Amino acid sequence: MSKQINVALIGNPNTGKTSVFNQLTGLNQKVGNYPGITVEKKEGVCKLPRGVKAHVLDLPGTYSLNTTSLDESVAVELLLNKNDKDHPDVALVITDVENLKRNLLLFTQIKDLLIPTILVINMADRMSRKGISIDIPLLEEKLQSKVALVSTRKRTGIDRLKELIAEYKNLSKKPNIDISVIAPDYFEKIKNTFPKEESYKLWLVITQDVNFMPVEKKLIQDASAFSTKSKSELKRLQQKETILRYQFINDILKQAYKVDINAAKGFRANLDKILTHKIFGYLIFLLILLTIFQAIYEWSVYPMDMIDTFFASATEWVKDTLPAGAFTDLIAEGILSGIGGIVIFIPQIAFLFLFISLLEESGYMSRVVFLMDRVMRPFGLSGKSIVPLISGTACAIPAVMATRTIENWKERLITILVTPFTTCSARLPVYLIIIALVIPEGTFLGLSYKALTLMLLYLIGFGAAIVSAVILNKILKIKSRSFFVVEMPSYKLPLLKNVVYTVLEKTKSFVFGAGKIILAISIILWFLGSNGFSDDFKNAEEIITQRVTENGFSANSETYIENKLLEYTQGINTTDSPSANNPSGTAIQDSLSLKTTELRGRALNQEIASYKLEHSYMGYMGKGIEPIVRPLGYDWKIGIAVLTSFAAREVFVGTLATIYSVGNDEEETIKYRMAAEVNPITKKPLFNLASGISLLLFYAFAMQCVSTLAVVKRETNSWKWPLGQLVFMSLFAYIVALIAYQLLK
Amino acid sequence: MEIFQHVLVYITLFAALAYLVKKFVLPKSLFNTKKSNSKSCGQDDCGCH
Repeated sequence: MSKQINVALIGNPNTGKTSVFNQLTGLNQKVGNYPGITVEKKEGVCKLPRGVKAHVLDLPGTYSLNTTSLDESVAVELLLNKNDKDHPDVALVITDVENLKRNLLLFTQIKDLLIPTILVINMADRMSRKGISIDIPLLEEKLQSKVALVSTRKRTGIDRLKELIAEYKNLSKKPNIDISVIAPDYFEKIKNTFPKEESYKLWLVITQDVNFMPVEKKLIQDASAFSTKSKSELKRLQQKETILRYQFINDILKQAYKVDINAAKGFRANLDKILTHKIFGYLIFLLILLTIFQAIYEWSVYPMDMIDTFFASATEWVKDTLPAGAFTDLIAEGILSGIGGIVIFIPQIAFLFLFISLLEESGYMSRVVFLMDRVMRPFGLSGKSIVPLISGTACAIPAVMATRTIENWKERLITILVTPFTTCSARLPVYLIIIALVIPEGTFLGLSYKALTLMLLYLIGFGAAIVSAVILNKILKIKSRSFFVVEMPSYKLPLLKNVVYTVLEKTKSFVFGAGKIILAISIILWFLGSNGFSDDFKNAEEIITQRVTENGFSANSETYIENKLLEYTQGINTTDSPSANNPSGTAIQDSLSLKTTELRGRALNQEIASYKLEHSYMGYMGKGIEPIVRPLGYDWKIGIAVLTSFAAREVFVGTLATIYSVGNDEEETIKYRMAAEVNPITKKPLFNLASGISLLLFYAFAMQCVSTLAVVKRETNSWKWPLGQLVFMSLFAYIVALIAYQLLK
Repeated sequence: MEIFQHVLVYITLFAALAYLVKKFVLPKSLFNTKKSNSKSCGQDDCGCH
């Protein structure tokens, strides 16, 4: 039986850690979360020489074992805790050949934890270009470790690295530095209190926000056997430790690492001058954002349309092929539309992460953070928050997922919570139909009132996001340290393999993570809208058929048939081809008669569907909430549409189409029907300026999207945040809509 | 046939509800049947592996 060993990949950000991980594991990898927290856990399997298998864990990037974020604490706790099932048998410290000095600080710290450690010097292909030469045997001797010179871009050095991992038992476990020299008496007392533990481990528990079994921070703080030191004294000792480490590193690099300065610099410095320029920097970033926005908003329309068409055909096929009945309806209208509702987001997610991955891989993202940090920080957001906030105007789902690039948990959480305020594309159908109905014709400075209203709604959404971020920044008591230090990594050509992995992994994570929740909720919503307990629901067909037979169609259906018939007649009349091709008078009569029968059949089905929805569980729920929505100027029909659009905002229009007994694709007819609707209490048009503005504002602020809720749950790993978001946004939307209606009515 | 279709609908509905309850209401520990891969030999950090 082959033996499996644990390998941990650790390193500073931007050292190509993920590339090494991808080269080692190939496609044998999975991404999840560490239990109970949202720090990404990336693990995979690597086959090593002599039948040895390695379980490879890609730890969050960190500059040192002095933790500043939850991600870094996770990495440190794993390295400290030998009882953890993922505790490494061997650690690979990934370093960048151009920043070896800074990267070695982390290496010496891990070595001092007495974990067998290999130094992986990545980006070796840049050595000749940058005039770098390294004496590897001398480096190995001084660091008491093995060194692998790797280039993930050129795919060199990986085989030797695998050899070294397989022979990890031969690696020295000696520490690089004796930590006790910074305060000998103090360390002796600690050692006496916990004789089984290594001094450096204890030192980390004392100075960092980390715990590990069996030594927990509390235990050390309670220990009376040695006197604890004040915070300032501990800080001073930490500084001494860092100086000691850099002295050790400098001594080694002086002998083993040489740089020919004449060969370096140039291109990068020039590019940085432009990309971080006070004016050009922002203009270039704006152009890139516009391209991303265009991709999510416009380019993804084509694959989305194809997906939509595919699911529409699949639905038709199921209805035509399977025996008619409730389960066939569930498959066609519940399950297939549920799956379609998940799959349709894939192009947008893929495009967004394609761009994010390209920006990160190329090294440009760090310049974005540098540029945008000063703009976003006053609002409690990170420079990286700009990408989710802008992407949110297309769809909040990929935007919330994109917040994973923000390292600071508080900034990331705030971005997740405020992103759904930005106007996503699903709001657009609702906005367009209501604006067309209630906003009068006319212009202001050459812009139509309707266009101005739409622009205002976009601005309101963005403004709400910024104001909420400021408030959340004040009220959220999350301990997280944030620094203005931004590393500017070298510019690199993105590795296609890494870009493809990121896009695949994010798409998979959405489809199989949030997708299952969305599907389950879609099934429940379908059930509530397609089933009812009353006799009215059960006998809908008979009731409506009898009503139509006795009293004829409703005025609404009659208008629908008349309009459609008129369109059809005009179609025949405009076919003014030679008389030989013109249908005769009898043929026209027959054709009209057939069309009338078809339209009457369609109108009957629409009336039955409308009656059924009215008497379904969802219908009763809509009527149940009528007292709540009445102060906003809505009736029970809008109530049902608001409830069903919780699945997705755009469902609002479709639901109203069903209630008003018109086809979903008959936008003009829906508009006509909505305009003709009268409020039974005020006897005025139901959709007037007051109720229309109220409805627009409600949709601008309400969290009417189950998919976003599911993604927020997944990204925060808790129901606390999405539910809080749902309650707050819904209440806020309600209050704003109420005020608007009461003022304008 | 009609009854059979209704039964299937209720089974699917129950499965969807059960999935949501399992995912969000019941504690995760109830479903954690995987054996621990821990190589540790106890809580005393003896370092024997």
